[in-house]
Amino acid sequence: MRRDGGDYHMENINEPNKFMKLFSKRGMGQVVTVTIGLLVLIVVFGILNPNFFSNRNISNLLRQIAPIILIGIGQSYVLITGNIDLSIGSVVGMSCMISATLMTKGMNPWLAVGITYITALIIGVLNGQLISKAKLPAFIATLGTMTIARGIAQIVNNNYNTDSIGEAAEGFRNFFYYGKTFGLYNTIWIALGIWVVFNFILSKTRTGRHIYAVGSNIHAAHLSGVNIASTVTKTYLVSAVCSATVGLVITATSGMGTMDAGTTYELYAVAASVIGGVSTLGGQGILLGTIVGASIWGVLQNGLQFAGAPVAIRNIVIGIIVIISVLLDIIVRANKNKAKIKARAKV
Amino acid sequence: MDKYIVELENVSKDFPGVKALDNVSFQLKSGEVLALLGENGAGKSTLMKILSGVYTKDSGTMKIFGKTIDDMDPVKAQELGIAIIHQELNMCDHLTVAQNIFLGRELTKKGVLADKEMNEEAGKILRGLNIDINPETIVGDLSVSKQQMVEIAKALSTKAKILIMDEPTSALTSKEIDDLFTIIKRLKNEGHGIVYISHRLEELQYIVDRVMILRDGQYITSMNYKDTSLKEIISYMVGREITEKFPRVERRVGKKILEVKNLNAGKMVRAINFSLYEGEIVGMAGLMGAGRTETTRALFGVDPKESGEIFVDGGEVKIMKPIDAIKSGIVLVPEDRKKDGLCTKLSIRDNIALPNLDILANKLGIVNRKKEEEVTIRSVENLGIRLANAEVDAGSLSGGNQQKVVVGKWLIRNSRVVIFDEPTRGIDVASKVEIYNLMNELKSQGIGVLFVSSEMPEILGISDRILVMADGRITKELDIQEATQDIILEYATKFDNKMKEGKGA
Repeated sequence: MRRDGGDYHMENINEPNKFMKLFSKRGMGQVVTVTIGLLVLIVVFGILNPNFFSNRNISNLLRQIAPIILIGIGQSYVLITGNIDLSIGSVVGMSCMISATLMTKGMNPWLAVGITYITALIIGVLNGQLISKAKLPAFIATLGTMTIARGIAQIVNNNYNTDSIGEAAEGFRNFFYYGKTFGLYNTIWIALGIWVVFNFILSKTRTGRHIYAVGSNIHAAHLSGVNIASTVTKTYLVSAVCSATVGLVITATSGMGTMDAGTTYELYAVAASVIGGVSTLGGQGILLGTIVGASIWGVLQNGLQFAGAPVAIRNIVIGIIVIISVLLDIIVRANKNKAKIKARAKV
Repeated sequence: MDKYIVELENVSKDFPGVKALDNVSFQLKSGEVLALLGENGAGKSTLMKILSGVYTKDSGTMKIFGKTIDDMDPVKAQELGIAIIHQELNMCDHLTVAQNIFLGRELTKKGVLADKEMNEEAGKILRGLNIDINPETIVGDLSVSKQQMVEIAKALSTKAKILIMDEPTSALTSKEIDDLFTIIKRLKNEGHGIVYISHRLEELQYIVDRVMILRDGQYITSMNYKDTSLKEIISYMVGREITEKFPRVERRVGKKILEVKNLNAGKMVRAINFSLYEGEIVGMAGLMGAGRTETTRALFGVDPKESGEIFVDGGEVKIMKPIDAIKSGIVLVPEDRKKDGLCTKLSIRDNIALPNLDILANKLGIVNRKKEEEVTIRSVENLGIRLANAEVDAGSLSGGNQQKVVVGKWLIRNSRVVIFDEPTRGIDVASKVEIYNLMNELKSQGIGVLFVSSEMPEILGISDRILVMADGRITKELDIQEATQDIILEYATKFDNKMKEGKGA
């Protein structure tokens, strides 16, 4: 007489042993898949051009990947709540211009860094409040702040890129780009450090749990007493911090402020997140995947360049990879659902 | 034991166009199970959502444990010890069982989530409820009935003293209902106050101490369960006499147009058999979730069928997709006309032409404007759609006229059967009458009308025959002469008696 015999069947499948448990962790399946993809890419590029594995290229490659990881972290936070942040690239540009302008005016570089972070955080708060309090769609709210931040980037130095930030900023430039610690460029350490902190927050704290809950079912989260406005705003603050850091890295790299720095980075960030298994529908994804996604992006850029492919070809290949990785996820999930329905139909 | 833990006095709540609650008072004692009863839309869920802080009341006072509370919200309700198990599932599909149970009040150690402790604690709660689920399972992977049990576990884990259960058993199996009732009895003995909302009146005998009845947003009565009977309860729930006037046309019933044999589609459509004759309106009555909408969807080819034969004018038709149904002459006027029935930003003419473009266009796909014009005029005249011209946006019409456009676009194809799913929901009385007239018009043209409605007066006022559904089955077929509200409600609450099944299993 029992109508749900199939469920017991389901739970037997789910009975986890230690190894399977690692896989069954939210988003782990996709991470494993794309990691294999990353390894294949690395091997292929290594065969095409043995110099790919040279020390010089490896450390350059890692330094190229670092900014993608950073913006990927910010975008992943936002995507997991089911929103999107289009203002990332403009906040990168704004941070680059504000920090460089202040330094060319003779301000202490570290004070300039502080002011840069504060302005970026203001954009983050604005994004979060517009979306959670004023109920604007994230796409529209961040489209607005994207344009505003780019405007600020242009206005701070009267619509010119800045001059060189000068000798006084040598320490700043080394800290964010040129210096090395334990044989690795500092940029890489910064990205790793930020990743460790935000990965911890996302996976081990209440804030992180609430971020997943909001993305999974905002209504249920609200009824359970989760503060939606604060949770959503926090994700945009994380995104702003990551973007500002990338802006500072760019200032350090070129030694000047560039108004169009970071253009379309928000979309690279979506690509890195999505390749790594973060769902644009919210509720799903882990930051480990974002690292792998960013790495695939960087390896493709670097490897194709090494193999002599023109920019156009690189773009086409990367576009295809983004589509394939999401398609794969959809197929896997559809099969899982079919299996589930079948298991239930056996009643 | 006689202390009130919840006292609501003269609470009112308006939604745009509806008075959901009108001066309702409500009391709950500790150590009692109170059944809150009423038809769909009587205001039960609204009242409980006010108590749990999901809605705010417009007026009235609320006292919890003797203390007046004015600004209730979900967090405050939780702190006060009120937990609600919502009718619709409110789970985060991507999170695990334990994560859902502790959502919003996670355990932490020095700011770090204590997942191990939460899993253990959740395991304990689940075992205490005799629920066999691993707390680390992702909720989205569980069946609906298991999710419902998790929802119950979540509410109980808050150590709430006031528990509200809104249709908790609708998705449960017999054994789970058994377990739930054991838990309810235990909680009652521990001094909890429990509000139990259910359409399954036959369940009440196992747990309920007192019943309170709402009707149309008003308090009707309350009484001790042992002093009353199901018959009395039903008569209070229905209460009103039918005062509204329903237009009725008489027409001789012709030949059989539609016959459905042994239609099955999932849990909500089980062994459905019925026929529809030329020139009659058949009403489909039942409570929310009885499977009426699901039946029409399966019939129309929206949802897959497991089995079943459908005959139109004596010939069998295979309906796999909506287009098959349309081609065989069965059309559906969906419940939400703005969402599913009309393109509100397109003109009337465009809306009427849309499903008929295959007829109106030539082989190259170019639409014949003259033909389009003709059919538009024909359907506007035929159904008496009142409009300035056919170029205005469909969204600008009144509810009744919109409904006519939805119907009109199907009649171009000489459809044989028109299914109306809750056609009068959310529209004013005048428009309702327009829709009744429309159905009568179709009836006198010899078209078969299948009419799903949750409002008993209109079902009784318009139909020639009534099918009553409960739990995915047709529990009774009534001729209009023998149908009364009481009989319909009796059969609409005729669920499989899961308790008995449970004991037999």
